[in-house]
Amino acid sequence: MLEQVYNSLQFIKPELILVGTLLVSIIVDLIFKNKKVVVAFVILGLVLSFYYLTFLNSINQLIFFNMYAIDPFAYFFKIFLLVATIGIVLFSVLSKEISDLKSREGEFYYFLVALTIGMFLMTSSTNLIMMYLAIELTSLTSYMLAGFMKEEKSSSEASLKYVLYGAFSSGMMLYGISIIYGLTGSFDLLAINMAIADGVSSLALLISTVLMFVGFGYKISAVPFHFWTPDVYEGSPISVTTILSVASKAAGFSMLMRTAKIMFIDPYAAPTVNDWQIIDSVPIVEILTILSVLTMTLGNLVAIWQSNLKRLLAYSSIAHAGYLLLGVLTMNNEGYSATLIYFVTYLFMNVGAFLIVMLVSNKLNSSDIDSYKGLGMKSPFIGVMFALFLISLTGLPPTAGFVGKLYIFAALVNKKLILLAVIGVLNSVVSLYYYVRIFRNMFLRESDIETPEIKLSLAEKLLILVFAIPTIGLGLYFAPLVEFAHASVEIFSGN
Amino acid sequence: MTFEEIVFWSLVLVSGFAALMVVISRSPIASALYLILNFFCLAGLYLTLNAQFIAVVHIIVYAGAIMVLFLFVIMLLNLQDETKLRERMNWKSFAAIALSILFLIELFYIFIIKTPTPKIPIHPSSKEIGTVEYLGKILFTEFLFPFELTSILLIAAIIGAVVLAKKKFELTD
Amino acid sequence: MIPLNYYLLFAAFLFSVGVVGVLIRRNAIIVFMCIELMLNSVNLTFIAFSAFMGNAIGQMFVFFVMTVAAAEAAVGLAIIIALFRNKKTINIDQINLLKW
Repeated sequence: MLEQVYNSLQFIKPELILVGTLLVSIIVDLIFKNKKVVVAFVILGLVLSFYYLTFLNSINQLIFFNMYAIDPFAYFFKIFLLVATIGIVLFSVLSKEISDLKSREGEFYYFLVALTIGMFLMTSSTNLIMMYLAIELTSLTSYMLAGFMKEEKSSSEASLKYVLYGAFSSGMMLYGISIIYGLTGSFDLLAINMAIADGVSSLALLISTVLMFVGFGYKISAVPFHFWTPDVYEGSPISVTTILSVASKAAGFSMLMRTAKIMFIDPYAAPTVNDWQIIDSVPIVEILTILSVLTMTLGNLVAIWQSNLKRLLAYSSIAHAGYLLLGVLTMNNEGYSATLIYFVTYLFMNVGAFLIVMLVSNKLNSSDIDSYKGLGMKSPFIGVMFALFLISLTGLPPTAGFVGKLYIFAALVNKKLILLAVIGVLNSVVSLYYYVRIFRNMFLRESDIETPEIKLSLAEKLLILVFAIPTIGLGLYFAPLVEFAHASVEIFSGN
Repeated sequence: MTFEEIVFWSLVLVSGFAALMVVISRSPIASALYLILNFFCLAGLYLTLNAQFIAVVHIIVYAGAIMVLFLFVIMLLNLQDETKLRERMNWKSFAAIALSILFLIELFYIFIIKTPTPKIPIHPSSKEIGTVEYLGKILFTEFLFPFELTSILLIAAIIGAVVLAKKKFELTD
Repeated sequence: MIPLNYYLLFAAFLFSVGVVGVLIRRNAIIVFMCIELMLNSVNLTFIAFSAFMGNAIGQMFVFFVMTVAAAEAAVGLAIIIALFRNKKTINIDQINLLKW
């Protein structure tokens, strides 16, 4: 018993370092008045964790009594999460909203670490207990981060809505888990899979699966569980919005993908190279298809009417969750790796777009689309960069967004799901409409009121370039990314 | 009716009534007190299922900690103007009730007609699984990792609650 | 012995009452209490299954649900206090600065 615990410890060094960073930062925050010290410690911890993570790249092992998986799939997402978190910590250093927090600034940064721990656990859990605890750790820290500007009415409103929806949907998910437990007598995904394959009452299984998907759908903000998304994204500090829209969505997706693959694949079917045999009793593909179509259509259509950029990007991120679900619902290696590729491209373009919104609102104190009138002419650097990120979000070549969409649609076509691919393309066309509205405001309209020219510091320009270069670069040269994504889902081949 | 049945039905009746009153009561204090009553009845039900440890922990954590926190916050907020709390039913509320009743019927259908049959046969020593000794053993072996994880969860929650709830307070330079 | 079904049906009833409460009540604190009610019905389901299967891990899950519920209540109530300081109300209908 004890030996297994000791053996397992060596595989969770990245997580342990993050926990250590959290604890040290709490103390450092109490000692030093200058909160930049906390930032330094947090970045140090994240980089150190990244360093130890790279040693785990080819390990495929279940640890802690089969509760926690160290495998290439989790490795991919952990790398992704660390890159995103480091990016967002740097991003927050430049944010006026965050430095206005004064005495609470230190807490903000170590909560980001706590959030990262939660997301790490989400990507690796293979047991429903672990998954529940990981979701709750992520959610609790997100609630607090959303309400961090507590003097702002909109921020505390956002966090109240977030916590009410979150607690409600986690209650729903728990009820689903309790029925699954009754049906199968286990919380381990593999054991549940075997029990389901041996045949259980299918109606009860369907209800419990749907209830569980409420929890997942809430984390990835899929329609109809998206109600919290626009309000929380609009009300929270922009750095929190960014991490919620990128990292926490990725963690939710990794969990959804792992669960869908392990729980609902027929273990007795003859293994095939690329296609997975799904157990008949659960219509998992149909559930995912409905979620996906609803999510992208509603996200794109509602985004057209938005006048606040944060809210617009919130709906656009809902729509992107729909595209990502398209990759998941193919339920084969090709689709899964396409989803991973899409995620990487989405990281750079989405964080980049939010970064610009944040920098502009630092200066103009507004995220309204009308306040962007004439911005492209007055501050060409911001205008061009923003245009680049928006082109990528639409999915036009030669940007990274195009590559992501290309792989997803290719996976759909190869699976003979032409109709879904067409719906996806039509949705991209709709999204072009609202992104073009921003271009028009930036380049073709004159501002009604006198707005100051936005001067960026060198650090701000550099950070924008950090996200802009991959957005272009991955659109032109993407072979290593594709290989990495293929290798990461290799463990899922066959049954 | 055996003694066991009498205990079960009285607990169910009281706790069901208390649950309904939580939703119906106008004043938050009354709701909180009914919820505590409901928790005590549930602890009784846990005892009828031989889950002694959970029953005791349930009383300590829910009635002792969580509900006290609720009552404390209700008093702290001191919602003087009761008229502000008047709530009206509209079509949305009725739709919500109708949907919930549909859901309930569905669950009844599953549990009565298609009873989920547990795969694992009843263990001979099922009376012992609710004891502190047995649960403690598996908690610190098989479930050690999630148990340690809860410590991070709690520390994040403690700090977060303090940060969010404390009054505006700035360090003097 | 009382059949397993009775426990499950009662838990389903409690869960539905909790859901109705969350959906129709406008006072944020009462909404939170109804969520606690939902969590408790889940706990009852877990323990009933656990006892009838002779399988202790269901009770283990209840233990973790309680921990999380305590943490969630603390954070949720702190958020309610922070909001009350700003808006002097905890009625969800009046929390409408954002559009829902």
